[in-house]
This record gives sequence, C-alpha cells and structure tokens, in this order.
Amino acid sequence: MPLWFARGLRRGVVTTRYPDRPEPAAALLPTPPAFRPSLLTAQVAERLVQACPSAALRLSEAAMIFDAGACTACGRCAEAAPHAVAASGEWELATTARSALIKEIPLAGEARQ
Amino acid sequence: MNEEEAAARRLREAIATQFGRSLHIRTLDTGSCAACEQEIRLLSAPHYDLHRLGFFFTPAPRHADLLLVTGPAIRAFDVAARKTYEAMPGPKVVVATGACALGGVYPEDRFVHGEVAKVLPVDVWIPGCPPSPLALLHGLGVAVGRLAEKARELTFTVGDAG
Repeated sequence: MPLWFARGLRRGVVTTRYPDRPEPAAALLPTPPAFRPSLLTAQVAERLVQACPSAALRLSEAAMIFDAGACTACGRCAEAAPHAVAASGEWELATTARSALIKEIPLAGEARQ
Repeated sequence: MNEEEAAARRLREAIATQFGRSLHIRTLDTGSCAACEQEIRLLSAPHYDLHRLGFFFTPAPRHADLLLVTGPAIRAFDVAARKTYEAMPGPKVVVATGACALGGVYPEDRFVHGEVAKVLPVDVWIPGCPPSPLALLHGLGVAVGRLAEKARELTFTVGDAG
C-alpha cells in the first residue's frame, strides 16, 4: 500500500485534461488519410480504390469520393501511393450530419481539361 | 407573459439544470467485434476518467439519456434495439459508434442492415475503427450539444415555440 502511494506520487496525475486542454497523445492515433488533389490522377485514384478494404473510397465522374465514416484508418492507401496520400492527423471527426464525413476530391487529370 | 407560458419556462429551466448535472450512457452492441466496447470501457480508466465530466454508464435504458450503439446492426437484434430505444425517456440521443455502425465495413445482406441509421434515428456519428477514447470523448461532447438542442425544442403548451 505505501509502495503504491509512493508510485502514484512519483507519476503524478495521469488523467488527460481533454477537452479543456489539447491532448498531446492524440498525435499518436491512427487517422484517416488526406489526399493531395494535385497528384491524384485517375490512375492513382483507381489504385487507391483497389487498395481500400472498407469501401471508404469510390470513383465518380472526375472525382474520387472519400467517406471518412467508413474509413478504418488502416493506412493501405498511403502504402499504395505514398506521394499522394498521408495521414490527416484529424481525429475530432464526430458530427451531427453523416454527409459531413463524405468528401469529394477532384481528380488531377480532369481538372486541367 | 401568461401563467401557462411562465410554467413552461420554469419547466424548461428545471430540465436544463437537471441535464447540466450528469448524463447517463447505455451502450448497445449490435454485433460489433468488441474493439469498440474495449475503447468505451477505457473511458472509465484513470487516463480518461469519464466521471470527471459527469458522464456515467448505466445498465438500464430507462435511466439513460444517450444510447451508444456499436456494430453493423444485425437483423437478429432488431427487436431488442427498438425496445431499448423506446424504453429510454426523452429527450434522448442515439450515437452511432465506429466504422461498422456508420456503414463502412459490412454491406447490407441477409444478416445485417449494414448501418445503425437504418434501424434507429441516429443523431451523432463517431467514425473510427475503433474510435479511440479521445475520439469518443469528443463525440460525447457533440452529443451533449445535440441533446441540449433537443431539450430546447421541447414544447409544453399549445403554441409554445420553445
């Protein structure tokens, strides 16, 4: 018992201050991807859609549709095209509108035409 | 202001005070893999200490203000999900938690609906597979805002605009 007490004093308060203060450990969380539209050609987009295991990505005309709600943050798209995709770092994604999680990313090749 | 309107205002203020104190959460597992449950349980751990914010888990839907639903809404659970929702007193919010509940992992088929919104009126969506306890805390904050909106929309008298 005294040992536990001493250990507790040494480590201090471990409870997060979130939501009053930002939580530094949040930087370690896996997060959904962010795409660089300038490098997202139709070819790259096709590869990303093939790589996505949870149907979070799909193609429409001249755009790729990304559903952050369906994304499991597995990182396979970032592996498939590391130059065009990176983790976004956004984790405060809870929303009152399902449509707010769905983003449309224009394809690079189409935009130039 | 007539007597009726004054009574409605007093009632609304009383409800706001009561809701300001604490919020009780009922979790509902509609066929999840238990990763979401694991993260939800971590909210009670010293690192997140959910109780410091006035949230509490309750085993009874009749005592709950918030329904935290995980999993892809399996069809075998339809009746239980509806009964749980109906047993909760209003105003109440339904929070869909995790990629399954949001429709990301399982497509609709004979066994699952594929997303919770097809079974229950979802108010807040928390993405993530599983959502981390921090993401859940943020989602609960969003849900509190939605619940306050719903409490303000309550009407008590004829022509009461809230």
